[in-house]
Amino acid sequence: MSVFRKGLKSRLLVFLAVVGPGLIVGEGGNDAGGIWTYSVAGARFGYSLLWAMVPATVGLIVVQLMAARMAAVTGKGLSDLIREEFGFRVTFFLMLALVVTNFGNVVAEFAGVASSLELFGLSRYIVVPLAAAAVWVLVVQGTYSSVEKIFLASSAFYVCYVLAAILARPDWKSAAIATLRRPETMAVADYGYQYVYMLVGLVGTTIAPWMQFYLQASIVEKGITLRQYRASRWDVVVGSLLAAVVAWFIIVACAATLHTAGRTEIRDAADAAQALRPLAGEYAYLLFAAGLFNASLFAASVLPISTAYTVCEGLGFESGLDKKFHEAPAFYWLYTLLIVTGAGVLLIPNLPLAHIIVLSQVVNGVVLPFVLIFMLLLTNDPELMGEHVNSRVFNVVAWITVAVMISLTIAMLLMRQ
Amino acid sequence: MSLVALSELLGAAVRDPSGTVRGRVREVAIAPQDHPTRVAFLIVRTSAGQRTLAANALKSCGSTVRTLTESSAWERNIASDGVLLLKRDLLDQQIIDVHGRKVVRVNDVDLDSTPLNSHVSLTVVSVEVGARGAIRRLARGVVPSFTLRALLDKIPPRVIPWEYVDLIETDPARRVKLKIAYEGLSRLHPADIADIVEDLPPAEREAVFETIDEEVAAEALEEIDPHIQVSIVESLDSDRAADIVEEMDPDAAADLLGDLSEDRSGEILKEMQPEERQEVTQLLEFGEHTAAGRMTTEFVALPETAVVADAIDALKTFEGSREALATIYLTGPSNRLVGAVSLVRIATSSPAAQLSGLSDPYIACAPDTPDDEVAALFDKYNLITLAVADEHGRLAGIITADDVITMLRHRH
Repeated sequence: MSVFRKGLKSRLLVFLAVVGPGLIVGEGGNDAGGIWTYSVAGARFGYSLLWAMVPATVGLIVVQLMAARMAAVTGKGLSDLIREEFGFRVTFFLMLALVVTNFGNVVAEFAGVASSLELFGLSRYIVVPLAAAAVWVLVVQGTYSSVEKIFLASSAFYVCYVLAAILARPDWKSAAIATLRRPETMAVADYGYQYVYMLVGLVGTTIAPWMQFYLQASIVEKGITLRQYRASRWDVVVGSLLAAVVAWFIIVACAATLHTAGRTEIRDAADAAQALRPLAGEYAYLLFAAGLFNASLFAASVLPISTAYTVCEGLGFESGLDKKFHEAPAFYWLYTLLIVTGAGVLLIPNLPLAHIIVLSQVVNGVVLPFVLIFMLLLTNDPELMGEHVNSRVFNVVAWITVAVMISLTIAMLLMRQ
Repeated sequence: MSLVALSELLGAAVRDPSGTVRGRVREVAIAPQDHPTRVAFLIVRTSAGQRTLAANALKSCGSTVRTLTESSAWERNIASDGVLLLKRDLLDQQIIDVHGRKVVRVNDVDLDSTPLNSHVSLTVVSVEVGARGAIRRLARGVVPSFTLRALLDKIPPRVIPWEYVDLIETDPARRVKLKIAYEGLSRLHPADIADIVEDLPPAEREAVFETIDEEVAAEALEEIDPHIQVSIVESLDSDRAADIVEEMDPDAAADLLGDLSEDRSGEILKEMQPEERQEVTQLLEFGEHTAAGRMTTEFVALPETAVVADAIDALKTFEGSREALATIYLTGPSNRLVGAVSLVRIATSSPAAQLSGLSDPYIACAPDTPDDEVAALFDKYNLITLAVADEHGRLAGIITADDVITMLRHRH
């Protein structure tokens, strides 16, 4: 008995020592853009898109595990590895694409902050600068472990969406069946281009390029090596599953109320919260709005720092939260500029927020396959990974994800013409 | 003499004596066994496969390479891990900049091409880590080479001379073949080595600690963040780990071994010399956050009858850390602490003076005194060292101020 307890305790300690990166990145994926996508998916198509969450989650887990394994085996960040294996030019353009993509995402996050607080009657001209300052201070003044703790605590607030969904009193049985059932090909015919478009958005927002870079970098920063990799793997899997569960509840909440009541057209996530008010009650409305605020602020904290890490590692600038401002100037400047300009855009009057969010999601989807291809090439390189190269199952799932993402994106672009 | 960048050379057309293009440069190789900086050969991709073009067959080097020999004379290239391949091993990789004391990424490599007899001799001069190398690689083949050169001349170079470059190679056998010994790194202050090592990925850290001198390794290891300390020691084999731990301060060694798994620390202890092992095992038994856990057992203690000359002799033969020498302790029968003489007093007194006459009122604490109280004693009495005495007043060890500073810095 005592042997068992000791084993359990030490295993728990190992797990707690490595927990964090996977959970944070998972919840970070459910950002302002994500919530918008899930809300629209639920409002417009009811339960009929729920099935896509299953393959998307499997894809997410497989992709994130590749990043985690690369981190544990090589002790290097993803952009470090891309630089070392594919050279400067490739890295430069990938980093450029990533900065543009992530900048779009940062704008979307601050848009989420603005629109969620506007529901409570607060002006964006006050809250956006405040939020930007808070984010900047939090990350620059804190050490990695304190920042990580705040992020972890913040990810608990995602329970808002679960509560909101329960208050919406959905038809749980239909929702469950719709999730596990084979998709109806009829749906595509019925809804056409809109359905494909939503599908790309759904997968694209679940597996975003920045997440892979962030995950790998933060596992490296935590000093996780192969010895702790088994425990770290659980962190990644649990984080991805929780992210998927939250997404599922958002879709269900909107499907049960908005779709059922025929309110299928919503502008953004804040609009969804507004629309929930008469249908699911005051509390559901408040929870939905609070959840959006939390998610947006959370991702607004994670995204700029992730971008700064990635770019500086790839291009060879000093980086890391453990360094002081003067030791890693490029790192902190990039970080600061992303926040200041990302938040600054929101202060332009009459900005079409919804369009910006959609655009950022689409750009994510376009850049993702490139990142995935690099990850696949790297994780299949025996010189780099030794015996830890991808198994066949991983390769199959990951290549399918790449192929599906590319073909869906092309299909979407073609159908839009 | 003229400089040619590695990125210019890679992909350059190789023309034989008749002027016909026979292939393109794939790699530039140095054989450290023969010469540490001179290029031994180029690897050229020809229509007949990868060929080795010996450096003494080069007529000129630049954006085109001209040779003295026909392509039929170039031997088939055989892969060998005894040569340093500049593109694979250096370009885009991390190196240690010994002069700047940090880890940097290589953007380009500068080679010097000097005519020598009938051919040109290529030698590595420096690595570029700044914007110039980056822009050259970005713009190459897109911007005409003439314009590019003019543009690059305007950018101030950020280069590290080759003698300040320490390569990182994780394969021990290859390290020997390439004669990588981290000589530059070893000469740095242990605290700087520690900072550099913390910036490296785990395999590279291990490589450094497998290679550098044990004493330097031990001092550097003491300065490294405890988490990284553990992962480094876990990755070394226990023989090597024991060699390094033996050289560490016993208190630092005990802290480190206390953080390792019991199996692992047992293995390392087994490999250690009996004397060092005993000291460390004693310290291991105390709680880490008490005076006994912080103390070192390497200090200078003399009988109360000793004179200044004895103290100076003892200082000369002392092998522990210098921090412990600030105070010399006096002991009476059965090792009981009776006095403490500061180094300043010894330096300013005549050799025949009795130490007991120079003794200040001494401060000591019990082995189970918690960290907070230890720090408070240092603060109150302005101590440089603090004696730790057991319940019978016997001197067990001393705590030095540097350990208290570390302890305070790590706490918040």
